[in-house]
Amino acid sequence: MRKKNLLAAGALSVVLALGGCAPSAPESPGNAGGSFDDTLTVATTTDVVNYNPLIGNSRSDYWITNLMYPHLLSIADNGKKIAGLATDWGYTDETTGFYEIRDDFTWSDGTPLTAEDVAWTMNAVKNDAPSGTFYGQMANFESAEAVSETRVEIKLSQSDSTVIEELGFWGNVVPKHVFEKAETVADFPNDGKDGGWVSAGPYLLTEVQAGQSYTMERVDNYPLVDGEKPIAAKVIYRVFPDVNTEILALQSGEVDVIANALPPAQVDNLRNTEGVEVAEVVGLGYAHMTYNMSKPDLAKLEVRQALAHAVDYETIRSVVLQGQAVSTGSSPLMPVLSDYYEDSLKEYEFDTELSRKLMKDAGYTEDSNGNFPVSFRLIYSLQDSVTSQWATLVQDSAAEAGITIELQGTERNTYLAMTQEGDYDIYAGSFAIMDDPVTNFALSYLPGGVINYTYVDDPELNALIEKGMVTSDTPEKIKIMQEAAKIVHEQVYDNIMYTQNLYFAHSAEWEGFVTQPSELLSIVNPLSIASAYKVK
Amino acid sequence: MSRLSFILRRLIRAFVTILFAVTVTFLLLRLMPGDPALAIASPNMTDEARALLLTQYGLDKPLFVQFGLYLGQVFQGNFGTSFTQSRPVLDVLLQRLPWTLLLTFTALTLTVIVGIPLGVLAASRRGKLLDKIVQVIGVTGQSLFVPSIGVLLLYVFGLMLGWFPIGGAYSTGTYGLDWYASVATHLVLPAVSLMLIQLGSYVLTMRATLIDALEEDYVTLAKANGLPKRRILWKHAMRNALLPTTTLIGLQLGFLVGGAVLTETVFAYPGIGRGIYEAVTQLDFPVLQGAFLLLAITVVVANMVTDIIYGFLDPRVKTS
Repeated sequence: MRKKNLLAAGALSVVLALGGCAPSAPESPGNAGGSFDDTLTVATTTDVVNYNPLIGNSRSDYWITNLMYPHLLSIADNGKKIAGLATDWGYTDETTGFYEIRDDFTWSDGTPLTAEDVAWTMNAVKNDAPSGTFYGQMANFESAEAVSETRVEIKLSQSDSTVIEELGFWGNVVPKHVFEKAETVADFPNDGKDGGWVSAGPYLLTEVQAGQSYTMERVDNYPLVDGEKPIAAKVIYRVFPDVNTEILALQSGEVDVIANALPPAQVDNLRNTEGVEVAEVVGLGYAHMTYNMSKPDLAKLEVRQALAHAVDYETIRSVVLQGQAVSTGSSPLMPVLSDYYEDSLKEYEFDTELSRKLMKDAGYTEDSNGNFPVSFRLIYSLQDSVTSQWATLVQDSAAEAGITIELQGTERNTYLAMTQEGDYDIYAGSFAIMDDPVTNFALSYLPGGVINYTYVDDPELNALIEKGMVTSDTPEKIKIMQEAAKIVHEQVYDNIMYTQNLYFAHSAEWEGFVTQPSELLSIVNPLSIASAYKVK
Repeated sequence: MSRLSFILRRLIRAFVTILFAVTVTFLLLRLMPGDPALAIASPNMTDEARALLLTQYGLDKPLFVQFGLYLGQVFQGNFGTSFTQSRPVLDVLLQRLPWTLLLTFTALTLTVIVGIPLGVLAASRRGKLLDKIVQVIGVTGQSLFVPSIGVLLLYVFGLMLGWFPIGGAYSTGTYGLDWYASVATHLVLPAVSLMLIQLGSYVLTMRATLIDALEEDYVTLAKANGLPKRRILWKHAMRNALLPTTTLIGLQLGFLVGGAVLTETVFAYPGIGRGIYEAVTQLDFPVLQGAFLLLAITVVVANMVTDIIYGFLDPRVKTS
């Protein structure tokens, strides 16, 4: 009898403990109805880490906060910035820029979204230095001022033709009346504890089950979508850390969209799966290898050229990427940036005999086995499965040219630390979004640039990049950057291997998605989510 | 030794173990390569901005100062603030801990319910076909890899047969009794996965200890007295053979928690194991420290309880 009582007490306590976790039914939303009552369920692999879009850590942070906090600018398939909240933007003189914003945006609590929100957001980011990309773009930003309800003027510390578009594209606008209560935006969690969230996007976050799901409800007034009313009544983001589980959930109908790009090996499989459709999205980044020129061997042009000619790019793209990538002609100006792309630059030819000749020209002699007396350490992140695969191919083809490459795949944080310290001969990795050529060149090839992993300092290249930064005339700027790209290509300051096309899976029951380039925007950008509808 | 002094000694030992776990965790995390500012910050952040982040996190202070501050906070029940989430660590962890406890204790219960009878069955039919089958099951279970068995179970029972949901702890939008039913159906596959990987240890331990017990003199005496075979097996031999299995439960708890990290990841289960996985990738030291501390406390307390129960079950332990 006593045993039975103990068992009953145990079972009761488990039920009571769980009861603490049981959600209570929310009040029914007043704005859903008619045929606009479907729920779109989106799968993601990561939890929301931070609800403050000015900090933003994971992709899920970006996707979910993007549905609430608008960007001034968006991006077209060719990398050109297009209107978002801002309708017009540019410069009035060398150190003054401006944004003209729409007058029909309102926060979900009824407060109008004005130029004051934009200016306050930018000034707060500059002052508080949160860790996200937004602050990273603010090197030449000095201050912002709302000069009218719809116009913001930006003061720059020096002439910079990139800053207006980059800030407009990367930065979210947050509600001043909510965020100004925080001591600093750098550690404001914006977790909705103080009366919930407010949104000026198509959806409003209403319920969070940590580690499980994020429920967002429609905001009726979203001026950027046809009819100003998003179609799905609710959007639920569900977290599946394992991609295989995520794909099973799509196939079983538990989710309607997978937000993250599919692994290349899964694309064909899902294309042939009944009830699933795969959308192609243009990539805005590239995969590359950089040769650390602070190492004496790699400071020699012939050695860098020998390495560049000892890579079988075509095989990497066809085997590892399964044909889902395009050559950039070994240029940092990718074909996707159609205004800047120049097809006269050709990819380094895979020719191991040419590599051998170049190594001999550099003064190296082969041993009896045909190997040169050099060995290079190539680092890559083990979390990057694609790079991990092609790193082995790079090692094998270099061996054919008599060059030894020692692979050092490490856990991501170690890789980041090694990269930061320049602890490598060859760096292999990829950048997700390189949307602005001038910014990209400045960060990658100017001395002290934070992603100058080659440690290049070429006066001619430096002068061109600096000229590009202060040139606001677009045709002139394109010409300058093409000249710069030619130097990067000739001197092998970077070995750009491909731009990866991205593929996203969704249920065939849903249509109307609007694709935008890159994994961050893809088919889960605010306009796409607001436009998607269930096929009846 | 009195019962009180026995319990007191176990409590002191548990406290020292937890303190040791806290120290080792703190030092291990700081020995990990990379720094949190790099893991969190945007790649185009300047060195100065990264240095500022380290100052914000207090990571620019000497190690012993950081440790002293941390210990001081822990003794006040303050686990610090998450680097990445800007929220109190305790809030972050307490949202997830109940799910991990539910999963691990369900898996443990299932393992005991299935494992012990299987071990008894194998021992009572020693050398026969059933014994061999059970041994094969036991050894196979021990060599299973959680993600593989997890995906397989999801594919067969989730996608093909549609018996169980794929991922999560419950369906969003369920409330009241439906919610409890949803929790139960979502729990089955992850709990079975965890059970399968542990089952072998229980089956094989139970089998071996029962075989030993069945060779004891008191069993021979019972047989000579004409007691039914079933009664000898279940009432007498098994009771004695259960003692090492009780110890195993305590020992296996740590293993169970380790298995939960992978299980929760594959099954998208919102427990603390997944939180650890995410915090490792972001080098979120406060969350990692807090999670390890909570788990250490859970395992140590469970072991201590096992120890005390064992002491009551077998008086020789108290005096040893």
